[in-house]
Amino acid sequence: MKVTTVSFRWIQALILVLSAAWIAFTTMVTKPSELGKNPAPRQGFPAPEFTLNSLAGDPIRVEDFRGQVVVLNFWASWCPPCKAEMPAFEALQQAYHGEHVVILAINTTYQDDLAAATKFVADNQLSFPILMDKDGKVTDRYQVLAMPSSFFIDRKGVIQQVIIGGPMSEALIQTQVRRLLQEAP
Amino acid sequence: MLPILHIGPLAIQTPGLILMLGLWFGLLLSEKIARIEQKVDPNSIYNLALVALIAGLVGARLFYAALSPDIFIKEPLNLLSLNTAMLDVSGGLITSGIASLVYAQKHKLSLWPTLDTFTPFFCVMAIAIGLAHFASGDAFGAPARLPWSIYLWGEYRHPTQLYETLLALVVAILVWPRQRNSMITGLRFLTFVILTASGRILLETFRGDSTLIFGSLRAAQVAAWGALAFGLSLIGTRLKQAQAMTIKEEST
Repeated sequence: MKVTTVSFRWIQALILVLSAAWIAFTTMVTKPSELGKNPAPRQGFPAPEFTLNSLAGDPIRVEDFRGQVVVLNFWASWCPPCKAEMPAFEALQQAYHGEHVVILAINTTYQDDLAAATKFVADNQLSFPILMDKDGKVTDRYQVLAMPSSFFIDRKGVIQQVIIGGPMSEALIQTQVRRLLQEAP
Repeated sequence: MLPILHIGPLAIQTPGLILMLGLWFGLLLSEKIARIEQKVDPNSIYNLALVALIAGLVGARLFYAALSPDIFIKEPLNLLSLNTAMLDVSGGLITSGIASLVYAQKHKLSLWPTLDTFTPFFCVMAIAIGLAHFASGDAFGAPARLPWSIYLWGEYRHPTQLYETLLALVVAILVWPRQRNSMITGLRFLTFVILTASGRILLETFRGDSTLIFGSLRAAQVAAWGALAFGLSLIGTRLKQAQAMTIKEEST
């Protein structure tokens, strides 16, 4: 039994030395700090770039808002949770107006009724930009699989949180935005 | 990758569904092993899991609310929101761990037999986490052009979620049946810990989303190495204790 305990000590030391050597060797060979990331619609990746026309017809480029916290929200007028969370976005717009926060609500126009969407925006007096995805390319690029879907993008243009489904409460939206505002620009 | 399962008008988040199934099946196995071994009261398995789950959810929500207390004080009903995005995972793990310890103390559950009984549950959950990562596309691999690479997030990558699932499966096969009749309590759980930690050290090498510390060291590898060292030293202690017990029995 004594021999077993002594052997175990040697085995233990060998395992620890070998595993530490593996960590050191693979860190040197694979260089994890040099792994770049292509734009992709998920947490930790640069947000895919796009340009869409607003409801008023002005072209809006998401990359123009670099340096500000951006909340992208994909919605449709036929989707009850999308409509339910819009007042929370409007409250955010009012609370953080002029504080480096931008809300871009992307209407999935290719699968929505434009008249119904326009009426919803007017009825609810939404003051943030409503972008119209008429051919569905941006919705496709962001791999939106369920409505609503929201992307919280930091000041460096990196997606920090993706929330699928809703409705999101004002508390959730404001907590996320506040967290991103606290980070260095 | 199948993050959302559409069933009629319902959009079910597949990773959550897989984890729920893992939770159910893992607890079923642990309860079964408790009945076979008779070291831990089988009823306490579900009770302990329930306490840990409820405490974890409450803690996760409270820790999240602590990030913006003014908002939650203004609208306290948000504390009851069903939105899982409003949960702080580390906070939940802390409260869940504390509640489990309190429950175990109160009901006089011995540490090692309880951990041994829960090991099948841990094994199943490790497999479920790998599959959930595969469904969501999380825990993705580093870019690589291999015959078995998968196209994910704009690049061909190591299918680390599948490596993770396979490793968890191998650990489950190695841990469970062989240690079933072990005389040394705690050995089954500790074997699970050291095999899982070793697997993580290997697996992390191929990950593309590692958190780095000290410039370029992968944090998960360092943490897993610590868990490996701790697990091995505890096995050493358990072996010594078993040796002392044997000598004592032989002398009497």
